[in-house]
Amino acid sequence: MRTTLSKRINELLVLAVLERGPAHGYQIALAVEEWTDGLFSFQHGTLYPILHRLEGEGRVRGEWHGEGRRRKTYRITDAGREILKAGATELEEQFRALLALLGGTHAA
Amino acid sequence: MPPDRSPLAATERRLNIPPRRRLEMIEELGADLEALQAEYRRRGLSPAAARREALMRLVPTEASLDELNVRHAPRPGRWLSAAGLGGRVERFGAAGAAILAGAALLTAIPAEDVAVQGSLFLWAQALIAALLAANWCRGAVGLWIMGVLPPDVRSLFQARHAGLIAGAVSLGGLGALWQGFVGLGTLEASPVLAWDVVRPAVLSGAVGIGAAIFGALGWLALLPRLISDESSERRIEALLTPSRPHGPVENTEESR
Repeated sequence: MRTTLSKRINELLVLAVLERGPAHGYQIALAVEEWTDGLFSFQHGTLYPILHRLEGEGRVRGEWHGEGRRRKTYRITDAGREILKAGATELEEQFRALLALLGGTHAA
Repeated sequence: MPPDRSPLAATERRLNIPPRRRLEMIEELGADLEALQAEYRRRGLSPAAARREALMRLVPTEASLDELNVRHAPRPGRWLSAAGLGGRVERFGAAGAAILAGAALLTAIPAEDVAVQGSLFLWAQALIAALLAANWCRGAVGLWIMGVLPPDVRSLFQARHAGLIAGAVSLGGLGALWQGFVGLGTLEASPVLAWDVVRPAVLSGAVGIGAAIFGALGWLALLPRLISDESSERRIEALLTPSRPHGPVENTEESR
C-alpha cells in the first residue's frame, strides 16, 4: 500500500513538473525537491524507472536533442494531463477520507 | 581508475537490456549527472559535494536497475524471465529448429534417388542444415525474444554461422564431385542416359547451396539488429571512455 501510494505520488509529481513545461530528468528531480521543501525527493536513480514507465505508457514524451552528446527532454502528453487531473482528484479524496478517519480517531 | 569503477560504467555493466536502450540510458544519465553537478556548483557547493549530491540523486541502485531491466526487456522475454523459462525456450527452440531443418532436407530428396539418399554427404549436409537452424534459433531468441545477445555470444554466433555456411558449400561441392565420380564409373560399366549420371551430382551440389542459402538468409534476417547492437556498443564504449575521470565518490579527504 505504502509503495503503491508512494509510486502514485511520485508519478503525479513528475507529471505536475512537466505540466509547467518540458524538462530534463535532473530538472524534474530538482523541481520536485524544491517545490515540496524536500518532503519528496528522488534518490538513487528512482526517477528514471518512473520517467521511462510514464514514457512507455504514453503519458510523457521523451525527445532527444543535440548532436554527439545528446540530452533527453521530457514533455507531458494529453494522456498525461488527464492522468494528472484524475490522479490529483483521487488523491485529494483519499487524503480527505484518511484525515477524517484520523481526526475521528483523535477525537475519540 | 578502471572503467568499470566509474558510476556510468558500473550502471552500464548492470543493465541487462538491448544495447540501444542501454546507450540511451547511459546518455541520459551521463548528461543529467553533468548538468546536475554544474547546477549544484552554481549554487555554491564544492566540486566534491556537488558531485556527491548529483550521484546520490541520479545513479540507480540495484532496485532501480531491476525496474529498468524489467521495463526495457522485450515483452516476451520479460514473461519468460519471470517464469524462469528463458534458457529452456532457447534450448528447446534450437533443438526443434534443428530437427525440423534436418528432417525437411532429408524428406525433400525424392525416394527414387537412392544414390543420393544413401550418400554420406547427404547425411552430413542434413547435419549442417540442422546446426545452422539451431544456431540461428539461439541468435534469434537472444536478440528478438530476450533482447540481449552479449558481445562474446554474438561473435560466436556469427563465427559459427559463417563456418557452417562454408561447410554447407564445401560438402555440396564434395558431394557433387563424388556423385559425378561414381556416375562416371557406372557410365563406363553400362552406358545409361547422361542425365541419370549427372542428376545425383547436381542434386548434391544443389542441397549444399540450398543449405548455405538457408543459412545466409537467416543471418541476413538478424543482420540489421546485429549491426545496430554493435554500433550502440561502440557508442557506449566511446561515451564511457571520457567518463573515466568521473569516478565513484569515495571517502577521501576531498569529498568530505
